[in-house]
Amino acid sequence: MPKSLTIDPHEARQRSLLRAPDIPVNAYLSDPQAEAERFSSAELVNIYHDMRLIREFELVLDGFKKTGSYRGIQYNHLGPAHLSIGQEAAAVGQCLRLDPEDFILGSHRSHGEILAKGLSAIRALDEDCLLDIMENYMGAAALRVVEGIDDFNDIESLAQAYLIYGTYAEIFARATGFNCGMGGSMHTFFPPFGIMPNNAIVGGSADIALGMALFKRINRKRGIVIANIGDSSVASGPVWEAMNFAAMDQYHTLWDAEIGGAPPILFNFMNNFYGMGGQPQGETLGFGMLARVGLGLNAAAMHSERVDGYDPLAVADATRRKKEVLLAGQGPAMLDVITYRYSGHSPSDASSYRGRDEVEMWRQQDSIRGFGAYLCANGHADNKTLEDTNGLIGEMITRIAAAAVDLDRSPRLHVANDEIGAMMFSDERADALDDRAPDVLQPMPESRFEVTSNKHRFGLDERGNPLPKLKTLNYAEAIFEAMLHRFYQDPTMIAFGEENRDWGGAFGAYRGLTEAIPYHRLFNTPISEAAIVGAAVGYALAGGRAVPELMYCDFMGRAGDEIFNQMAKWQAMSANVLRMPLVLRVSVGMKYGAQHSQDWSSLVAHIPGLKVYFPATAYDAKGMLNLALRGSDPVVFFESQRLYSRPETLFAGGVPVEYYEIEEGEPHLHRPGSDITIVTIGATLYRALEAADRLRTEHGLSAEVIDARFLNPLNYEPIVQSLRKTGKVLLASDASERGSFLHTMASNISQLGFDFLDGPVAVLGARNWITPPAELDESFFPSADWMIDIIHERLLPLPGYQPRTRQGKAEILTRNRAGI
Amino acid sequence: MPQAIVMPKLGNTVESAIILAWHIGVGDPVKMGEALCEVETDKATLEVESSASGILLARFFEAGDEVPVMQNIAVVGREGESFDLLSPLSASPAEPVTPSTSDDHSDEKPGDKVFISPRARNLAGRKGIDCSAIEGTGPDGRIIERDIRAYIDQQVKMSPVAKAMLESGEYQIADAGAVDKRITKSDLRPSSPGGSPELKAIDLTGLRRTIAKRMLESLRTTAQLTLNASADATSLQAFRARLKSSDEALGLHDVTINDLLLFAVARTLPAFPELNALYEKDRILQYARVHLGMAVDTPRGLLVPVIRGADSLSLRALSDEAKRLAEACRDSSIMPDELTGGSFTLTNLGGLGIESFTPILNPPQVGILGIGSINLKPVERDGAVAHVPHISLSLTVNHQVVDGAPAARFLAQLRKNIASIELLLAL
Repeated sequence: MPKSLTIDPHEARQRSLLRAPDIPVNAYLSDPQAEAERFSSAELVNIYHDMRLIREFELVLDGFKKTGSYRGIQYNHLGPAHLSIGQEAAAVGQCLRLDPEDFILGSHRSHGEILAKGLSAIRALDEDCLLDIMENYMGAAALRVVEGIDDFNDIESLAQAYLIYGTYAEIFARATGFNCGMGGSMHTFFPPFGIMPNNAIVGGSADIALGMALFKRINRKRGIVIANIGDSSVASGPVWEAMNFAAMDQYHTLWDAEIGGAPPILFNFMNNFYGMGGQPQGETLGFGMLARVGLGLNAAAMHSERVDGYDPLAVADATRRKKEVLLAGQGPAMLDVITYRYSGHSPSDASSYRGRDEVEMWRQQDSIRGFGAYLCANGHADNKTLEDTNGLIGEMITRIAAAAVDLDRSPRLHVANDEIGAMMFSDERADALDDRAPDVLQPMPESRFEVTSNKHRFGLDERGNPLPKLKTLNYAEAIFEAMLHRFYQDPTMIAFGEENRDWGGAFGAYRGLTEAIPYHRLFNTPISEAAIVGAAVGYALAGGRAVPELMYCDFMGRAGDEIFNQMAKWQAMSANVLRMPLVLRVSVGMKYGAQHSQDWSSLVAHIPGLKVYFPATAYDAKGMLNLALRGSDPVVFFESQRLYSRPETLFAGGVPVEYYEIEEGEPHLHRPGSDITIVTIGATLYRALEAADRLRTEHGLSAEVIDARFLNPLNYEPIVQSLRKTGKVLLASDASERGSFLHTMASNISQLGFDFLDGPVAVLGARNWITPPAELDESFFPSADWMIDIIHERLLPLPGYQPRTRQGKAEILTRNRAGI
Repeated sequence: MPQAIVMPKLGNTVESAIILAWHIGVGDPVKMGEALCEVETDKATLEVESSASGILLARFFEAGDEVPVMQNIAVVGREGESFDLLSPLSASPAEPVTPSTSDDHSDEKPGDKVFISPRARNLAGRKGIDCSAIEGTGPDGRIIERDIRAYIDQQVKMSPVAKAMLESGEYQIADAGAVDKRITKSDLRPSSPGGSPELKAIDLTGLRRTIAKRMLESLRTTAQLTLNASADATSLQAFRARLKSSDEALGLHDVTINDLLLFAVARTLPAFPELNALYEKDRILQYARVHLGMAVDTPRGLLVPVIRGADSLSLRALSDEAKRLAEACRDSSIMPDELTGGSFTLTNLGGLGIESFTPILNPPQVGILGIGSINLKPVERDGAVAHVPHISLSLTVNHQVVDGAPAARFLAQLRKNIASIELLLAL
């Protein structure tokens, strides 16, 4: 909603026709002479070599899966193997004109793409560089094994063997694999060669690749990014969102021209005509030809075209042309690369959904045999050289596979030492992820910081009376100060969301950032939560700091895969090779009914690999966001719309103007007491303090109030310490009670402090209903009344007290029996 | 089900005890924790508390009887219940009185069983309270911490002085309604409205009887010789002042002059084994370690608890142990084993203004040191008279086995050590 762009009704209501560009279909015409000028004979023979190598590589896996052996090697491979036998030309052709700094991201069926990109990078990198990579990657663990396989004549052969070995060892779950086996067949990758994470969630690479392309564009890094995804994935939301996000007008209309235009991303659909057992073309989708989809995205139709993926030279030609478009900032681009897999979706697939004759027809056109004939016909090779190549490849692959299945040479991780646990978080701290000066629009002292820093930093005067609200720093402004600080420290930091710029965030936390931070570091996105989080994941994996925002916690469902499967997983799935400096700001709503008022912190706390913060005061908001924004791990940062306008009234010193951090995982004791402990998450803190006041004045009880602040990581010691004193614990949050993280806390506290318990740990959440209209809030969210009632009913009957609500033990039975 | 009350085991070496007096009559109600009778061992006098609530159905022994420990001495239950099987005099073996341990709780009704929180159970265990008679006020009648605390509070609390005054029979509680607080001396008034009678006969019982017997025995069976001296107390007082103003966290605030003297004696004695010894049955037993007896004044009379291995304790540890033992003596929680095994004794009347006295030996120990008050003593310094604070020391030894000279040498070394207490601490 930038004011600079006017929506003119005259123009909008004008009668006209929308015209679209033509979509080329298999436009490449074979011209052996022209190709011979582009490529030397050796380069053309390499195409054959690489396709052959990929085929052989996967035949080994096919043998292991189907018969448990291959050329005398016995191995039972437990994990998945989604083979791309038949699709080799599409992979090798694509990489022919790629440079090592170009990134590819793939799918569950990407062994061929990994090998093709790796072989291409090996040929492009000089020997010193290759040796350096192999020596320094994971302490040269894979290199040492490979050196024992053969006396390699040259570094290129060594590096090829290294690539094959690292991939096999990864597939077979070995500590010497590229990611210590934590990625496996569907996720193998090797960043030094530009092979970025392959995703086992269909279409999962689309928005992550977009994030990496944004990283390259915004940080002026070289190269393009390719998302290799399946034909059926075009119908998945995140892919559609990513393509829209990649096609935004603002790259051209609003971003500084100097940035260079749109993010350089190619959505490369490996179209093998099947999505599981369904046929997108003719059965499960209506596009007729996948390439048509480009028409829906922008005026350039995403430069979409269909390419014959059975001809490596056709694919190379198309990829080269798209790369030029992308480097010129005119992306995004899209290719519908037709290809075919002879094998099933996976070893368990009996191919009952397609006829044998169809498979046979494609086999007749096999790209490897076809390209071999092309080489011979045009004098680049003869049958003997090709057969020699086949023989050498077979021999080398066999020896490498034997080394990779051998547990002595290729051991598994020592899981007993919690090596996997150690990979979950990287726990690093960095002020900046690059050393150049950050792009900003005004010096920091002239920004809105001048206003916020001069406000009262504590909300009460000496007598405890509230100071004027507008003159006092509130929770939203504390968030602003933390964001501003890091924007001026870390040149890679970007923030985006649905209303981040001129609006200043739906709840005002970003007011003042529009004036201070240029478009390419702070921008609005389409209403595409999946792509918002997914792009941030890609941006962070590429090496930048990303701060995406979800306007309401309730929208997390729209980004479920990106939060649960992508943001949470990639550090450990990369065996800690990659970092995830990503802070996802999530605002818990109120008064907006069933789809805008839910606290879903428990959902993310359940997912291993995420850090979960939930500050309840302005002091914590700034200190905890500062902490998150200097880290290297993915943080889901919950805020509450009950709190944005609240000044600091609990931390006596108020909110420091200077930079500070809160210690990670440490709960804060807000009020000491001796009779009962109340631990809160989020905004229930203030209701707990009210309950504590009333327990004191009305019942003569002294309640200790602790704000957990963190869900993960969390130090339980201070809570158990409090329990030892009081013997009674009440936990409260605004999340619905069933499955609430409070139950995890209750279980842990009970086990840690059983002997000190004077009653069961009581859990008080919101009701297991839809959130009712604001007018009925009191029936749904925990209040001070509820807290006193549950204490009376479950922990410490208060003499003469008449509870106002039903919180007795019987309610647990009744409500659960009814499922509410 | 009637519950047997047993003669408790009152110490590791105690095998039997004499019942001095019964406090509860047969047929009278008794509460758990209430004193049933007073018993005496060879070391101390103690009260046996009832381990159940109900009616005292029977007493199996009379005052004056010596009863082996762990023997049933009484039975508490509901009126009319049969208790024959619990009588130690009964010929037939006693049936186990524990409730059925059957695992089948199928026909147990809620309320049949007492539920108690882990915290309340732990507290009751620490205080030795049987929860079966406590009514829970937690959810579903669960016994929770506050119920145990309330039970403890409801037991009439009394200061040791008030307790002794009441036991003397000369006083009674002024306001019988004041049961919700601790009863102190000020809550008591003389029993007879006109004040104390001119003469009151008190039968010697318990501790007093023991003291009377042992003091006389001491003088009758040993050759006691007392040597008097005094030590320069300047350092002692200065150091005590230092401790008092030290950082509270160090825990040295409460170290007293007496603790410092205990320390000085404990560190001096090892070099004088002839004084750190027992004399019994024609032989002398010399100790390598110092087990230092310490005279404590209690409402019931003099008690001498023993600080074991006092020569190896730091000043703070020594002070803590002395305080713990003194407190245990005063509130009668001292264990009989803590009142035996001393190798030397220290008794201090200095705080009461006594300048010098002749302590009486605690046989078979051969030495006891009495501490008198600190007084200024004229001392000649550089030709002038200076008044220097001195603390008086009176050492009584058993001249049968300890000669005057070694006793004097010990005193001389002790004076030196007290005069330079800070150097001793540095050793």
